[in-house]
Amino acid sequence: MSIADLRTQDMKVLCLGSHPGIIQSILDYDFLVKKQQPSIMAIVAGGRKQERYFWGESEVIIPVVPKISALSQDVRGRVSAVLNVQSARRVLTSTKEAFELLPNIKLAAVFAEQTPEVHSIELARLARERGILAIGPSSVGLLLPGFAKLGAIGGTQHLQLSEAKILNGGDTAVVSTSGGIVNELIHTVTGAGLGVSFALAVGGDRFPMTTPAEAMLLAEVDTETKRIVFFGELGGTDEYEIAKLIDDKKLTKEIIVYIAGTVAELFETPPQFGHAKALAETHDESASAKKEALKKSGVVVCETFADIAKELKARVKNERSVTQATIGERKKSLIVSHISGDVNGDVHILGKELLKAVEENSVASMTLSMLLGKPVTSKKAIDFTDYVMKLLVDHGPYVSGAVNTIVAARAGKDLVSSLASGLLTIGPRFGGAINEASGNWLQGASGGRTPREFVEKYGGIIPGIGHKKYRIDLPDPRVKALMEFAGNANGDTYVSFAKGVEKVTTSKKGNLILNVDGAIAAILLDILESEMGYSQAELKELVEIEFFNALFVLSRSVGFTAHYLDQRRHDEGLLRLSPNEIRYLGE
Amino acid sequence: MPRRKLSEYRSKKLVNDILGLKYEGWSVASPEETTKVGGYDSYVVKVDQAVKGRFKKGLVLLDVAQSDLRNAVTELQNKGYSSFLIEPYVTHEQTEERYLAMTHDRSGYHLLCSNKGGVNIEQNAKSIEKYFISDDLDWEAVVEKTGIPHSSLQKLVQLFKDNFFVFLEINPYVVTAKGMNILDCAIEVDDAAMYFVDGWNEEDIRHPSMNAKREEEEEVKRLDANSPASFNLSVLNPDGSVFLLLSGGGASVVIADEVHNLGLGKELANYGEYSGNPNTEETFIYTSQVLKLMLASKAKNKVLFVGGAVANFTDIANTFAGIIQALDVYGNDLKKQGIKIYVRRGGPRQEIGLAKIEAALKKHGLFGGVYNPKTSIPEALHTALKGLK
Repeated sequence: MSIADLRTQDMKVLCLGSHPGIIQSILDYDFLVKKQQPSIMAIVAGGRKQERYFWGESEVIIPVVPKISALSQDVRGRVSAVLNVQSARRVLTSTKEAFELLPNIKLAAVFAEQTPEVHSIELARLARERGILAIGPSSVGLLLPGFAKLGAIGGTQHLQLSEAKILNGGDTAVVSTSGGIVNELIHTVTGAGLGVSFALAVGGDRFPMTTPAEAMLLAEVDTETKRIVFFGELGGTDEYEIAKLIDDKKLTKEIIVYIAGTVAELFETPPQFGHAKALAETHDESASAKKEALKKSGVVVCETFADIAKELKARVKNERSVTQATIGERKKSLIVSHISGDVNGDVHILGKELLKAVEENSVASMTLSMLLGKPVTSKKAIDFTDYVMKLLVDHGPYVSGAVNTIVAARAGKDLVSSLASGLLTIGPRFGGAINEASGNWLQGASGGRTPREFVEKYGGIIPGIGHKKYRIDLPDPRVKALMEFAGNANGDTYVSFAKGVEKVTTSKKGNLILNVDGAIAAILLDILESEMGYSQAELKELVEIEFFNALFVLSRSVGFTAHYLDQRRHDEGLLRLSPNEIRYLGE
Repeated sequence: MPRRKLSEYRSKKLVNDILGLKYEGWSVASPEETTKVGGYDSYVVKVDQAVKGRFKKGLVLLDVAQSDLRNAVTELQNKGYSSFLIEPYVTHEQTEERYLAMTHDRSGYHLLCSNKGGVNIEQNAKSIEKYFISDDLDWEAVVEKTGIPHSSLQKLVQLFKDNFFVFLEINPYVVTAKGMNILDCAIEVDDAAMYFVDGWNEEDIRHPSMNAKREEEEEVKRLDANSPASFNLSVLNPDGSVFLLLSGGGASVVIADEVHNLGLGKELANYGEYSGNPNTEETFIYTSQVLKLMLASKAKNKVLFVGGAVANFTDIANTFAGIIQALDVYGNDLKKQGIKIYVRRGGPRQEIGLAKIEAALKKHGLFGGVYNPKTSIPEALHTALKGLK
């Protein structure tokens, strides 16, 4: 993978692990170089579903998934770069997994320090086989001015990025084994009046996945790059490879270097200077020896760090035009909403101006769209919602919610108090069965168990199964009507599973039939999956957030309200139970 | 710092165990522990701390009687060491001493051997044969050259890989009628792999200066072990005049180099750095250790240079807040000694950090100079050290 190729593609990044400071800085850089969208597609981390970041002065949400395999095939196919900010312990396994599951990645950067040497060597081999440019470990990443920033490189504050003169490119490549120094050199280059063609932190480990010599070759074939500034350290023998490339005429561009660590030569047993590899075990690995070798090959070797700036200033021909951009004041909002909000003073619902939404929607389509948090177009889904909303509206004044509403109404309470009193009874024993049944059908059908195994394992009452009156030989007409909505072109996984369960339970007892709750749950799951393309993970989330209860709550609110109004019209006064309705067992 | 040496005890134990050989040796940390040693008439007592040239430095005591073990360990302990190895003293029949080593690099694993082993192996470098360990390796040739059976060589290779060794040297060993006898052995490991191995752990790691440690260095070591950020501190010359409070693995070496370039290498009192965005409290603790060392130095003119490159993600305002807290504690004492402090740093929130530290230095009468990245590291350092030359 060449630097030129990386410049031409719109980099799409998957971040392994979350490092909010680094991620925010990448988004800031994207915004400053006027990208339409953040380059980070998703974050792989535990415990959250999304993270909020700034996009310019506004905000944007980046999805979080627990593992790479939880991403859709489509997203996995579009990821072109990986930024691994996980701990060193996980670097090998997580990077390897990224290589295996992301078919189109071209670039990977590993941030962690303390990655075992053999793990880096193994990853370097795998990357080479796949044509991936892998950099690190212990690297702050790669900067392609004007195009992309993968890692902390260049800074993590938008002000730093705006002021570093790195929003457009130049002709000087920066390669460094040190993360802090790569940034120092970027500033040295732009401060001298030159621009950066690319900056790469190879990392301070003994076996970096991309070696300094390989980084030099990337610069050699990059037509934007005229010269290279390189920072190396004592330890390792990478510099001899560079000298050999020059001697072999494979590296012809001008190189300005600083090799740190001559101070170590003062000590018999020097302390560990700087990075992991910075311990010279043999004379060849000393800073002096490496400087000597590079000098012999014609490299400009700086004796003091200040010489780098001097050398660079001497190479400035014309004043460089610097792209300017800034990000203004910004503040994290307290709440984010996908449902509605003001746009230029007008209320918008799910992306449409309210009146327009009213014109285009039925009550059912508006309701389902809002509950799902996105516009629904499936006619079948809307018709089913309409049917279910009507079907669940009231099942008589006998049930706990209706009784509560009536008791409150007769106690003289207002509409909202009476309705709330009814709604508060909805839960595990009343009205909650649709959601529970959805969870069961989803788990059962996707878990690879047969309905029989499911029933055996479940034990006890299965939500969505069983009726007081109706039996296998006396079917529930409502269930029959609901089943008109089954029969999806793309399959009925959940209805089949629920019917399978019914077959097992009715063989035990005739009234253990699939009831209205169980049928609604199964049909709705099938519609969402087959008609609307919901993934299992998305369906699981709907169960977790009680979406399937929402339809019941809404519909039955009409029933409760009706009972309230009815009681107020009768105005019978306080309901009090007579002593014969309570048996006192205290005596 | 990944490449570190294992103790001689652990090295010999690992190698002998894998080869099914018996190893007699006791690792002791104090004279009291010698009570666990027994069964022989005579012993060798030596410092087991990865020190080079132990014989010349008198750190190996030969032919020590059981009753003298305690005194022998005390004698070595008094030289400033705390890790010792006791082995039975046996004279080996004079036979051919051999050399075997293994290393790894990007290409894979290498095996080196020579039949001119022993202390003079470096003079006999030409006798060393190098083999690349691959499926194509002619093992028969290696067996013949080393006198070690194929199965034992395989076991050593496996030991090397399983335990993330980066270097193994068995020098010398002898091959007698009874088989292989390992006389000395050294192992270096990749300490980044500690989490993945069973064969060794932190307690087996040795460093010559591990006990010359001062309290301040110990404190920094503890800090490093308990933080996601990284810290290190080594005292180079306790009475030096140039003290460094640095951040970043690369920049810290550049700054130490510049001190050396200015001819003040011998005046360099300490080396160390913090990096990885430590919090304010951690930076306070780290700074305090450097300031304590500085106050203890007997040098007349002392300068503290607080430096670093343009940080990528270390928050300058937060880390400098920790430095300022330490100045609040030690400021008076520093002023009494006429110490001046110079600062050169850049990175996230540098404006706030630099302004605050400038104010603090002025308040305590310690102000030497405060520079942002517009001033290069060497320029700032030259200004700081001008008075010392």
